Amino acid sequence: MNNSEPLLNNPLDRTGSSEDKKFPNWIVAFLLAVSLIGFIDAGYLTLKYYQGEVPNCSVFEGCETVAASKYTDIGGIPLALFGAAYYLFIFILTVAYIDLGYSKILKFIAYFTIIGLIVSVVLVFLQLFVVDAICLYCMVSAATSTFLFIMGVHILKNSAPIRS
Amino acid sequence: MAEEENLTKKEKRELRRQERNVESDRRQKMRVYKRVMVWAVAVFVVAGSIFGIFWLLGSPGGERVFVGAVLQDDQIKGNSDAGTTIIEYSDFQCQACAAYYPIIKRLAEEYGDSAIFVYRHFPLRQIHPNAELAAQASESAARQGKFWEMHDMLFENQQIWSNQRNPEETFIGYASAIGLDVEKFKSDLASEEVENKVDRDYNSAISAGINATPTFIFNGEKIQTPRTYEQFRTLIEQSVGSDR
Repeated sequence: MNNSEPLLNNPLDRTGSSEDKKFPNWIVAFLLAVSLIGFIDAGYLTLKYYQGEVPNCSVFEGCETVAASKYTDIGGIPLALFGAAYYLFIFILTVAYIDLGYSKILKFIAYFTIIGLIVSVVLVFLQLFVVDAICLYCMVSAATSTFLFIMGVHILKNSAPIRS
Repeated sequence: MAEEENLTKKEKRELRRQERNVESDRRQKMRVYKRVMVWAVAVFVVAGSIFGIFWLLGSPGGERVFVGAVLQDDQIKGNSDAGTTIIEYSDFQCQACAAYYPIIKRLAEEYGDSAIFVYRHFPLRQIHPNAELAAQASESAARQGKFWEMHDMLFENQQIWSNQRNPEETFIGYASAIGLDVEKFKSDLASEEVENKVDRDYNSAISAGINATPTFIFNGEKIQTPRTYEQFRTLIEQSVGSDR
């Protein structure tokens, strides 16, 4: 029922039709997979934060719980929760694209990934130069947001000619 | 004849129109069905992930491990006949272990008569390049009866030797500071026995599924590390109390 809506809203925008999916499936699959990995990763960190784990050093996580404890939240809200929300949002948007087929959604995701990349760069910088401890799960998140950004660039590059 | 043909044509058109309607109805239904499926699968995947995360982090408390018994050559403090046993798996280069060091030291002084405190090595080799040598240095000191002196020295000066490329000279300095025979210390540090001792502790930790330091085995049970001195004390109080 929603399928006819974009045509009504914007008769010139033919990209809105559900039949017009010009982005290859692998991009969509990649977005889904990477955002889900990011979501699980950030969700794990969020839950750990609320469990109030005791600081320790671990084979898999280093000592970040000791050193980075100052930087794990903003006003009581763990950074990881923001991360989880970010990845979930991208995941839901991608599903929305599968459902509705509006290429605008993918373009929005593409621009949105810039935020994730910037935050990740800042966090990696903090880990390396301020906290001086590497947190594996945070690095996974940095990797997933970088992948998403690369996907975003790919999406924007491929959609440019259609726009003009 | 022509009328009949005409009629049939009309009928045919009507029939085709109906067919098209049925077809578009079917398509419409399929579309709705697909949409419901897409969102159902998405919700299922997200819910499954959340459930998986909870499952991953679930049940962290009291877990029986087979490393609870005190061994003859363990590094101990306190009363070896006491019923209360606290085994610590620790790493000299671990910041959290250094944070627990004064807590355990204080507890060992207070409950030295009624509990036994064991130190076992779990150097996190992957993330702490100097941890293994530090553990070996403490075991070398133990061969001259000064394990705990070296243990204290290593934790108190953790910041100094942690980032050194090769802390061996620093450790030799500590050996001399606590009054060890430096030549013997050096040869012990290079010995296979000392290496094996640290390895044995390390392997026992791995086999017990320990993956972080400090990990405490309290009366044979792996416990969630208490946050504060007071919490630790309460735990020991309860155990010591039930012994009496």
